[in-house]
Amino acid sequence: MRPATESNEFRRDLVSLLPKLRRFAMTLTRNAADADDLVQEACERAITRSHLWNGEGRLESWIYAMTRNLWIDEIRKRKVRTGGGTVDIADQDELTIEASGEKAVYANQLQKMILSMPEGLASVFVLVNVEGHSYRETATILNIPIGTVMSRLSTARIRLAAMISETTERRA
Amino acid sequence: MQNTKGLSLEVRLSAYLDGEVSDTERRELEELVTRDDEARLLFEMLQAGNTFGNKAFEDFLHDPVPLSLVRRIKQGTTLNPKSERVTATVPVHHRVKLWPRALAASIALLIIGGSTGYLLGMVNGSSQSNVEVAAARSWLDDIAEYHRVYSRQEKHLVEVPASAGDDEIRTWLASSVGVNFKLPALAGEGLTFEGGRLLVAAGKPVAQLMYKNADGDVFAICFLKSEPTGEQGKLNESIRDDLAMVSWQKSGASYVVIGPSADAKLRHLAETVSAEI
Repeated sequence: MRPATESNEFRRDLVSLLPKLRRFAMTLTRNAADADDLVQEACERAITRSHLWNGEGRLESWIYAMTRNLWIDEIRKRKVRTGGGTVDIADQDELTIEASGEKAVYANQLQKMILSMPEGLASVFVLVNVEGHSYRETATILNIPIGTVMSRLSTARIRLAAMISETTERRA
Repeated sequence: MQNTKGLSLEVRLSAYLDGEVSDTERRELEELVTRDDEARLLFEMLQAGNTFGNKAFEDFLHDPVPLSLVRRIKQGTTLNPKSERVTATVPVHHRVKLWPRALAASIALLIIGGSTGYLLGMVNGSSQSNVEVAAARSWLDDIAEYHRVYSRQEKHLVEVPASAGDDEIRTWLASSVGVNFKLPALAGEGLTFEGGRLLVAAGKPVAQLMYKNADGDVFAICFLKSEPTGEQGKLNESIRDDLAMVSWQKSGASYVVIGPSADAKLRHLAETVSAEI
């Protein structure tokens, strides 16, 4: 059994990772409510399996892979249950993130816009470009070939570049 | 390093941006971008996408994390995160059905927590009376309430500001509460000393030292004279809604460090304070 102090340290490490875990989950689920549920489930699983964490590499990589696997399972279950998949953020009537004031509304629109990119682009972009994971690490976390990481990344960058003029027009 | 030869130009330039191409390919792509306008435009577009995306995803980190989620992870409480989200959400169809697992986890944690508490009680014996436990609890409860009120006072955060001088504040609070102390220097923890207050908690005078971090979050160190009970120097963590507290006893005084419950480094801060104060 894991000593209590070690377990507490693991929990503290998880708490400090929560904003990043939540962001990564958002790139998978593309809505805040599902992302929160997914993060909670991933953290619970990580705690029960913390004895398997060997301390090598980045803790978030281990939990990201777990989060991604849980989400794939969830998608499969939904497809079996209802014949449908996720509710894409682009299809939702309202934004899923609380906002007040012009700045917050703009931030919400921006989040909605970048999460509306085709599935898989945002996750790769966040892992490689924002968090500095290598192509190989990213491929392992997402369980996809390195070639797919490369093509998704270039597509994501071009899509994001196209959004710059779009957001400028909206703010004008 | 990846071999990108034969792939589309945007994929190759994208890999170049990430430093994932060999030296030979890097030189080849650099030359191409220099002499070919179309390639240069594409490269600039990829760079612009990078900058825009980085900023946008950085903003995600500023979204408040649900406090109930923080608490569940830190303490394994049985709170329902869906009823306590700090971020408003709209109903989404086909939500994840987590309640069976959450219920099972809650029951397991309740059993573990209950049995651990019982065993600890058996080990510690009954030397600590119920009255002492109640008094200790009310002291920390009072501190939490004070913190909620004072930490929101932008203009009047403290009774005596730091500008009055460390010696003035130290002498005043030490003589008022009957505990000698050293003002902890917490600049290394990213905290600026704002000043002090004198409070009354559980019927006793309490010294309160207030600090702020760069984000404006308020942290406080509070202490009062007390009879030694329990293990000296042992840090105890607890959470009261939006606030986290780390308390300990040392040399005839009780101390607590209090701050936002979302702050993951509070224990480390308490360790520093305990060593310095």
